[in-house]
Amino acid sequence: MTVQFDSTEQFRDVIDAVMTLMSEDPEMGPRLRHADVPQRFEFDDMELVVNARAARDGEQGNLYWEWSDKVDWEPKVKLTMSSEVANLYFQGKENVPVAIARRRIMAGGDVKSALELIPITKPVYGLYRSMLKADYPQLLVT
Amino acid sequence: MDDEQSSEDQRGVSERLAGAEAAERAGVSLSTLRRWVALGLFSKHDVGQGWGPSAIAQARSLVKLRERGYSIGQIQEAIDEGRIVGYADELVAEMVGERFTLKEVAKQTKLKPEVIEELIAAIGLPSGATEDLGAEDVEMFRHFATAVESGFPRDALLQTVRVYGQAISKIADAEVRLVHLHVHEPLLRDGVSSELIAEQMDEITEELLPLFSPVIDHLHRRFLNHFVEQDIVGHMESEVGGGEIGQVRVAIAFADLAGYTQLTEEVGDEEAAGIVERFVANVNQSLPDEARILKTIGDEVMIVSPDAASLIDWAVGFQFLSSERPLPRIGIHVGNVVFRDGDYFGREVNLAARVAARAAAGEVLVTWPVVEMAGKHLEFERIGEVQLKGFNRATELFLVDSAGGN
Repeated sequence: MTVQFDSTEQFRDVIDAVMTLMSEDPEMGPRLRHADVPQRFEFDDMELVVNARAARDGEQGNLYWEWSDKVDWEPKVKLTMSSEVANLYFQGKENVPVAIARRRIMAGGDVKSALELIPITKPVYGLYRSMLKADYPQLLVT
Repeated sequence: MDDEQSSEDQRGVSERLAGAEAAERAGVSLSTLRRWVALGLFSKHDVGQGWGPSAIAQARSLVKLRERGYSIGQIQEAIDEGRIVGYADELVAEMVGERFTLKEVAKQTKLKPEVIEELIAAIGLPSGATEDLGAEDVEMFRHFATAVESGFPRDALLQTVRVYGQAISKIADAEVRLVHLHVHEPLLRDGVSSELIAEQMDEITEELLPLFSPVIDHLHRRFLNHFVEQDIVGHMESEVGGGEIGQVRVAIAFADLAGYTQLTEEVGDEEAAGIVERFVANVNQSLPDEARILKTIGDEVMIVSPDAASLIDWAVGFQFLSSERPLPRIGIHVGNVVFRDGDYFGREVNLAARVAARAAAGEVLVTWPVVEMAGKHLEFERIGEVQLKGFNRATELFLVDSAGGN
């Protein structure tokens, strides 16, 4: 069954929340900051782009992101996917290499970095599902 | 007596043996054992009050060293330098416990002696173990007897036990080697005194030992859960009676790093080993849930999956994400294979390995059965009929468009 977001606003809220989870998680956050891989995510069905990078000195948390392409840094990895695939990915239900082969995720840039980020971001699956259970149960995929 | 003390006694840790019995357990004459004591080879053990498990274990190690031609002087020097450290009593508690012969174990467990011998061989214990079994061994054979009584086929039991033996001996070997390389060796290099080395090794053993069994037990349950799930899915997706008993139809992939030997020459063993470690970790972390690494041999990884379509998609995506030299090369084949002792055997496995060997850096090469099971989103280029080493008939090979949709 396809799970869909109610609106662009709801999708943005959910992605903001998952970015915050990754940024503030004591395990993932510092590792993502240390990896220092600026990423550009394009959600084509929502016509939204979010650029994320490691937080700089003086910035709060471990990650910083903006819902825009007008940023003062260059993304190292570019990933394009639908909101549905993003929701599945963060729940651990979308395998990245398989999704690339099936054209569900389009990857560009320094793709090797994307491969190396997979193990670092795996703990987000459980956190994201817990968040959905509490705040957006309709988005949970069994 | 408190509970802790009581359980210690049950394990035989506090038990001590007289010199004659200790000599017998160590496999040396009493006079030799006395001579070694007089020479100070057991100065760290209080053997005056009887022989504890770790002292007997050390005596056995000394016997082995003497058999390998080391002189008493050389052994003494190694002890003084901290190169030989003692055992933790908990690790070798059975050294002082009651011993049982094969006949006694057979009587207690109601297993036939020849079955016990087969099980001992399957576990991989030394052949001499049949006449020198401890109380915990007897308990283990009781469990095997229960499995036999419950109707678990003997061949399947032997295979299970063989897998246990291989896997657990590998774990124990790795634990000992890693402690040696990362704890003992650095202490020796730092010139730490033998007393301090012994103390630190005792401390780390005491802290680590109690962790191992619960961790292994927990992981065993986690993996059992995973594979039971896989088995249920497999039953749904496979035809009952479609192959021979003991055979399974799986997709098999072999992946390795092209030009790895050359890379070792260029960057040295340590750095090359690090690259392999990252490659294997990347494979392991990125595989779909239903696929798994069966084994690694150097820079080569063997992967099996009940789902050929997702395995080939993974291979294509993995190649796309691997942009730096040394690039992987991957070969995939699907077929009926013999499942034995936790491993997969047969012509189809050999064929998959040969297919991978024909792939170039960055390529995914597959056979026709894989093409048939692949999703429509993939494109294949027919390479042609290729004569693979060791096979009488030529095999039709296909190159997958590794660019995926990107």
